[in-house]
Amino acid sequence: MRVGIEIGGTFTDLVRIDDRGIRIVKVRSTPAAPDAGLFDAVEAGGIDLEAVRDFAHGSTVATNAVLERKGGRIALLVTEGFRDILLLRRQDREALFDIFYRKPEPLVPRSDTLEVPERVGSGGDVVRALDEDALVPRLEAFLRDGGYDAVAICLLNAFARPDHERRVAELVRRIAPDLPVTCSVDVSRAFREYERASTATLAAYVQPVLDAYLRRIEARLDGSGFRGAFSMMQSNGGRVPAAAIRSNGASALLSGPAAGVTGAIRQSARSGVRDIITLDIGGTSADVCLIRDGRPDLTKEARIDTLPVLVPMVDITTIGAGGGSLVWIDDGGLLRVGPRSAGADPGPACYGRGGTAPTLTDAHVVCGRINPDAKLAGSLPLDAAAARRAFEPIAETLGLSVEEVASSAIRIAVEAIVSAIRLVSTSRGRDPRDYVLVPFGGAGPLHAALVADALAMDRVLIPPNAGVLSAYGLLVADYSVYDGVTRRRRLEEEAMPDVRATIAELLEGLTRRADELGLGPDRRFDVILEMRFVGQAYDLGVPIDLAALDELKASDLVAAFVREHEIVYRHGGLGAVKSVEIVSFQAGLHVAPETVPSLADVAEAEAAIPTIGARIYDEGRWHETSRQARSAVADGIRGPVALEDLTATVYVPPGWTAASDEAGNLTLRRVA
Amino acid sequence: MNPVDQAIISQALLSAAREMGIKLYRSAYSSVVRDGKDASTGILDCTGQAVAQSDELIPILVGSLSITFRACAERYPVETLREGDFYICNHPYHGAHHLQDILIFVPIFFEGELLGFSASVAHHLDIGGGAPGMNTSATDYYQEGLIIPPSKYNLKADWQDDGPFQRFLAANFRVPEMTIGDIDSQFAACAVGADRVRELAAKFGPATVKAAMSEMIAYVERRVRAAVRAIPDGTYFGEDCLDDDGLSDEPLAIKVKLTVAGDQLSVDFEGTCPQVKSNLNAPFASTVSATLACVKSVLTGDDVPFNEGATRAVSITAPRGSLLNPNPPAPVRARMEAAFRSYDVVLKAFGAAIPDRAVAPGYDCTTGFCLSHLKDGRFRVFLELRDGGYGGSAKGDGCDAVAGPLSNCTNTPVEQIDADYDFFRIESYELRPDSGGRGRHRGGMGSTRTYRILEDGVRLSIYADRFKFPAAGLAGGEPGAPGGCFVHRGDEVITVRTKDDLPLRRGDLIVLASGGGGGFGEASARDEAAIKLDQKQGYVTA
Repeated sequence: MRVGIEIGGTFTDLVRIDDRGIRIVKVRSTPAAPDAGLFDAVEAGGIDLEAVRDFAHGSTVATNAVLERKGGRIALLVTEGFRDILLLRRQDREALFDIFYRKPEPLVPRSDTLEVPERVGSGGDVVRALDEDALVPRLEAFLRDGGYDAVAICLLNAFARPDHERRVAELVRRIAPDLPVTCSVDVSRAFREYERASTATLAAYVQPVLDAYLRRIEARLDGSGFRGAFSMMQSNGGRVPAAAIRSNGASALLSGPAAGVTGAIRQSARSGVRDIITLDIGGTSADVCLIRDGRPDLTKEARIDTLPVLVPMVDITTIGAGGGSLVWIDDGGLLRVGPRSAGADPGPACYGRGGTAPTLTDAHVVCGRINPDAKLAGSLPLDAAAARRAFEPIAETLGLSVEEVASSAIRIAVEAIVSAIRLVSTSRGRDPRDYVLVPFGGAGPLHAALVADALAMDRVLIPPNAGVLSAYGLLVADYSVYDGVTRRRRLEEEAMPDVRATIAELLEGLTRRADELGLGPDRRFDVILEMRFVGQAYDLGVPIDLAALDELKASDLVAAFVREHEIVYRHGGLGAVKSVEIVSFQAGLHVAPETVPSLADVAEAEAAIPTIGARIYDEGRWHETSRQARSAVADGIRGPVALEDLTATVYVPPGWTAASDEAGNLTLRRVA
Repeated sequence: MNPVDQAIISQALLSAAREMGIKLYRSAYSSVVRDGKDASTGILDCTGQAVAQSDELIPILVGSLSITFRACAERYPVETLREGDFYICNHPYHGAHHLQDILIFVPIFFEGELLGFSASVAHHLDIGGGAPGMNTSATDYYQEGLIIPPSKYNLKADWQDDGPFQRFLAANFRVPEMTIGDIDSQFAACAVGADRVRELAAKFGPATVKAAMSEMIAYVERRVRAAVRAIPDGTYFGEDCLDDDGLSDEPLAIKVKLTVAGDQLSVDFEGTCPQVKSNLNAPFASTVSATLACVKSVLTGDDVPFNEGATRAVSITAPRGSLLNPNPPAPVRARMEAAFRSYDVVLKAFGAAIPDRAVAPGYDCTTGFCLSHLKDGRFRVFLELRDGGYGGSAKGDGCDAVAGPLSNCTNTPVEQIDADYDFFRIESYELRPDSGGRGRHRGGMGSTRTYRILEDGVRLSIYADRFKFPAAGLAGGEPGAPGGCFVHRGDEVITVRTKDDLPLRRGDLIVLASGGGGGFGEASARDEAAIKLDQKQGYVTA
């Protein structure tokens, strides 16, 4: 048996796969003790842990430790003269017009930072030797009195010469053998000291929390006779054995949204679709991601609570539009949706938990797209009348009907999502019409066709049980490890032997790492060169065909870069005149998991969902139509109609049709 | 106008302006654009009134696009424009800021009908003139670079494929491949904006898009007026000064009178000192932008987008021939110091009008710090803009060591400097204890950065302020520390002036300290825990 468990803010989703097919379980999360929620789900799923051979987990525990500042007490060691590295940051601010602006609380206060007498230059030259005689007594006093949980070390230019960091780590271990130590070069070999220090500190900061969390899980797993493989999701969309995430917790940060993207990639590949834009709409936010040829772009510019994380992450764009987003009128008279949210408590008015402000979810209830007679998470009935009441004040102000305001709110939310998709597509020179929109999450399939319509995309592919696609994504994810290194140099033919050597070195390192982790022998590599015109500050990634590496010429790389630059920026930046430089190399190693059945093969049938009459409001009028199980839907059914499975509602608007395929995916197409 | 269409078109126009901005800075060569976001992008209606402007680029360029546009349209009426034409201008006395900022306006046609304009402005690395990057000794603006008066050209005829106007500009610039590359980025950004507006017209119809643009301006005007109406009617004053003009020791006074009458705000810089002979004069467009940035920060925050509507509710005047509205040919290159001080005096006047939003002034300077070195016939120039502390407020302490409120320039990573420059090295970069003005809520601290010179023949040039007159405290708070710059040469310490230029020697250590923000409220009223924390962290040493 294989089990994937994804813990979200509100719900914990479980997908189990065995010979009899797939089962899904949804239980409420227990934010105070997430591992308890995890085993609640295991119990609710009736899972015999002894029989589980693959146990994959995605958790927000690392992310939350940062957001709530509940990580470990960290000692930070930096090059002398630079103790304020985390406080000075990059000197800029996120809010441009906030006269009360403050920087977010740093993870390590100034008094927990110790300066190390040493200095390495850019080329790895030792400008000032490490003065151990001066350092050791200071370090002893510092660690003895500190009460620290872990140590992070970030020395200048360590990526060019790691000896000093390694030696300082040894000294720390000699003084305090029990303290975990994170060297910056082990989490990132990229230049820019603040970003690398931030990443190293984040890794050290979440480590005690992750470690304790994993220990509790492992104890219960062991106690239950579990003998399988326990893996954790990373933000790069791949997973690693749980033990490996302990040594670099940074890759667990923001891993939540990545699992869904991986699930969407695999599930749409079953229908032969590899160029997709994913749309995950939850309670407070919408995440979009563009995938070319089955691979998401990875970003190195990710941030958590504005703190940079220099590990490759699936490049997901998030906006504040979700089911809980509030609908309101501002003091200039403009109808707005979000960014404020009703949150989980009180939640939308229709939840009947005291919320009186209208939300996007209420708008769907008013318009009949969410079944007004449905029960919330299978228990509490929805309060459709409360949803209508919540919209009345706005309707009065605007002189419109309640349903017109509600459908307008949906259109405005859709437009915000459209803007986000433009940012990941047209804005980067990609035409969304060349992609299929793949929605998931509880509310994704409600909006997808409307979003596609606004972008002139003519196809939407909706995975089965889209509400638990993230948990499914855990089980279909590759095992992945990444490494990268900054090695700036001008791209000329003479540089190519070095380029090849650097790539070979990275691949060897990854192979060693995969061996250590015991990953399977069937390994796939990918390599991206981050390049730019000399003088620019932002890089563009160009993927390398490893099969042709030996014949690869610098001129091919320049041409590929110039082409990408033209696509993204609409001008080639005088490719013939200007030099191109490589800034860094990024490499990944992937091992595919064993084949997993489609998420459509759910053991329990959707037979329980009856076909009923439905009134749906769209295009300015009520339509008398139906609501039915999506598995029972006749091919080519025309909207407006609402289709349901156990975890999500699909809205097919007027002008769109729906059809299922063998993979269990539902395809919506615009009527020509 | 359907309110939903309005909301959707407004949102789309704002996204378009932002998208233009991202394109521009991510492909830029100019370090001031890519690290400092010293650029702006926007959409204007068909009469040149700004409708939407990117709110992620720097505040000093907010709200003045239309001034430059009008200068162009006066000369070359909008009706005469054809597909492919564009306006271009960098003239400080025809609505632009300083010569480094080149503004471009591209008309957006849809089926032959003019819908509006997409606009971009970027600070360029070098635009010719008396010295690379910056000619500090300029006595008039002709010496500061190539002047592009309000002009009309055609992209196809004059620019593309090595067109004559491009060749003309390139011949006048020291690093043409970079400056021309950045102008190309500006055109690309404008093309993106134009596409987005055309897509809206195809979907909603040109008439609806135009109506939505007008309504968007009216909407911002309503929101700004609502915020002004909430301020008690009256006249409020603010005053501050710049250290000197770099030629003499006289402080330069900046004064403002802010009048609230119902929902109309007027801002008058009467009493401000006359223009100066050095490059510290702020062209009127900069004064307008600094004022509007302050109005936006204090009254509406990030939620209200910026457009022409705001300028309808706010009238701004500065005496002709003053530091904030100079007459030609006064040089204007270092206009930011005066712009910052005009921001500060407006902030002070607002503080008097709305005490619960009162904030003590911050260090608020552009500390332009430049090291250059000529070796083997090749010029190497390092330029960076520094931080400072913000003022304390009724709400809390001021932010430590952060880019000034009219800019948002990042620092340069030490590792990047190590890789790119071999004639100096950063030896330390730290917060500056005791530099925040004491108070119930202390001012933010400045920082100290030290530069070790590794070769002979390096030159230091600097323009800065508040080395003499620090950021004042408010409501009983104490002033922040002033900034300072010193060269340590053996046992000797050379004091560098705020506007200075001096040769260095190998082994010199430059210590450049930015100042703190003013404190708010009596220091004796400071919370005990906050005092302890400051001492424990070493933010306060006494």
